[in-house]
Amino acid sequence: MVTLNDRISCHTPNQDGTTTQEYFINMGPQHPSTHGVLRLILKMDGETVNDIIPVLGYIHRGIEKKAEAVGYRQQVHLTDRLDYLCALMNNWAVSAAIEKALNLEVNDRIQTVRTIIAELQRIQSHQLWWGVFGMDLGAFTPFLYGFRDREKITEIFEKTMGARLTMNYFQPGGMMYDIHPDFVKDIKEFIKYFRPILKEYEDLFSGNIIVQERLKNVGIIDAQTALAYGATGPVLRASGMPLDLRKMQPYGAYSKVNFTVPVGTVGDSWDRYQVRIQEMYQSLLIIEQLIDNIPDGPHMTMKYAAKIKPPAGRYYTQMETARGIFGTFFVSDGNDRPYRMHFRTPNFNNLWSILKMAPGGRVADLVAILSSIDLVVPDMDR
Amino acid sequence: MGLINDNPENPFKEAIPGSPAFITSIDKVVNWARSNSLWPLTFGTSCCAIEVMMAAGAAHHDLARFGAEVARPSPRQADLLVIAGTIVKRMEPLLKTLYDQMAEPKYVIATGACAISGGPFIYDSYTTIRGAHEVIPVDVYVPGCPPRPEAFFYGLLTLQKMIIEGQTIAKPFERRKPVLSVLPPRIKLEQIRDELVKNLTARSVTDLNQNPKELGL
Repeated sequence: MVTLNDRISCHTPNQDGTTTQEYFINMGPQHPSTHGVLRLILKMDGETVNDIIPVLGYIHRGIEKKAEAVGYRQQVHLTDRLDYLCALMNNWAVSAAIEKALNLEVNDRIQTVRTIIAELQRIQSHQLWWGVFGMDLGAFTPFLYGFRDREKITEIFEKTMGARLTMNYFQPGGMMYDIHPDFVKDIKEFIKYFRPILKEYEDLFSGNIIVQERLKNVGIIDAQTALAYGATGPVLRASGMPLDLRKMQPYGAYSKVNFTVPVGTVGDSWDRYQVRIQEMYQSLLIIEQLIDNIPDGPHMTMKYAAKIKPPAGRYYTQMETARGIFGTFFVSDGNDRPYRMHFRTPNFNNLWSILKMAPGGRVADLVAILSSIDLVVPDMDR
Repeated sequence: MGLINDNPENPFKEAIPGSPAFITSIDKVVNWARSNSLWPLTFGTSCCAIEVMMAAGAAHHDLARFGAEVARPSPRQADLLVIAGTIVKRMEPLLKTLYDQMAEPKYVIATGACAISGGPFIYDSYTTIRGAHEVIPVDVYVPGCPPRPEAFFYGLLTLQKMIIEGQTIAKPFERRKPVLSVLPPRIKLEQIRDELVKNLTARSVTDLNQNPKELGL
């Protein structure tokens, strides 16, 4: 059996003739900057990280197994608890998979409202990331600013959906309720409020020399490696690969709107930071194009509470959440419960890119890298 | 509160000499100070951490109003453990360790359905612990999935009330019954249920009292 001790190389000669020994240090699962219960075993030489071994499973709840025991309509509720910061996009992905299996076309109103809400959620998720990113780098003000503006979106959601974090709003066949009468007005007010604030974010944080020094040329990953590791979302796009499902396989109302996919050049933490900031501008643009002409129509195309029995077969749907590609794959045997349900979650694949990013850097850089990947641990372990 | 002390020889359990009147007035001061300076441990496993630890602590809701804003990443410096999220079997020994590492007096708030009973994972999950009380003693339960920050504040105020009324210097570590902080005073469960049914029937397109078989269930 290979133990951790076998991985240590002793007596690494230094330039001045002295020798050092590598050692292991344990980071997590209870650690403020792993954003949950992620555990990392670091192989260190002095302050330098030489190798990194992620250990998962501290929040493994067996969601995929549980999904086999509940009906199709209840799958939506489980996806909320995967990546809770993109809860609505996860809801949409699983609803779309079921709609695909049932050959159900949803009307334009549903598609448009879903797109607007998904983009709002993307902004909300990036706001939280921005706040926590600042906190991980040692600045507390971004945390307060990010959450101040995040509450505005939370209030819009709460008016329509009645919940703040786990909404269960998108259902197979449509939405749970119709949008609130104030929905359009509130979002317009928010866009007007948030666009100058986004500038303020950049003035406060991006121009700071300490932030730039800690992010630039730290945690570099090139596009081919990122693709090989299965990384998606801003992590991959920061390396220069413009892989965005909203452009490549447009779903919802994305084919009707004009927007650009921000990409980075180097693939360091700074590029990942810039990509997310630019994505917030693009999300505002998308919402602005759609908000004025939401088509009329019913918000639900299926009978409520009816049992769903998709025909036997295998179905896969994928969507671009704030962290990357979220895929839902299920095997149906014709019953009211799936035979097998699998979620391809973005965070699990994004995590492994730290194996290339972190080695060679310092521990403080590792914290910045972890934060720039924007991990949600319950999404990894499921 | 906190530790359930089985060891009768615990030196801290000894009664403090002095007149009862003196001890009682010391109690008041100590409990008042303790209740208003709770230092929470930043411990979040899943969704509840966003609402309870982050949104509650940030500018909009502001945990600092209740004197509990000094979040500590180290259990050695914290005295309030907020269990925010699901506890699974692999995390169980670590939660126990974290609790043991905290210094007395220590208090535990279990927030969210998962930490109370296993929540959505109470059935058909092979890993989830059915409630944090199976691992460590819990003082206050805050229900919700996840609870709103306001609900957490109500739980925190309940804990503060417990501390003020509860622990005495003469009998330290005396544990009081767990509290469910769901209902504000003077509101009964039946009232909430009636209101829910009324709202649902008024807005719903389906009849709540109709036979489920007609719906195809």
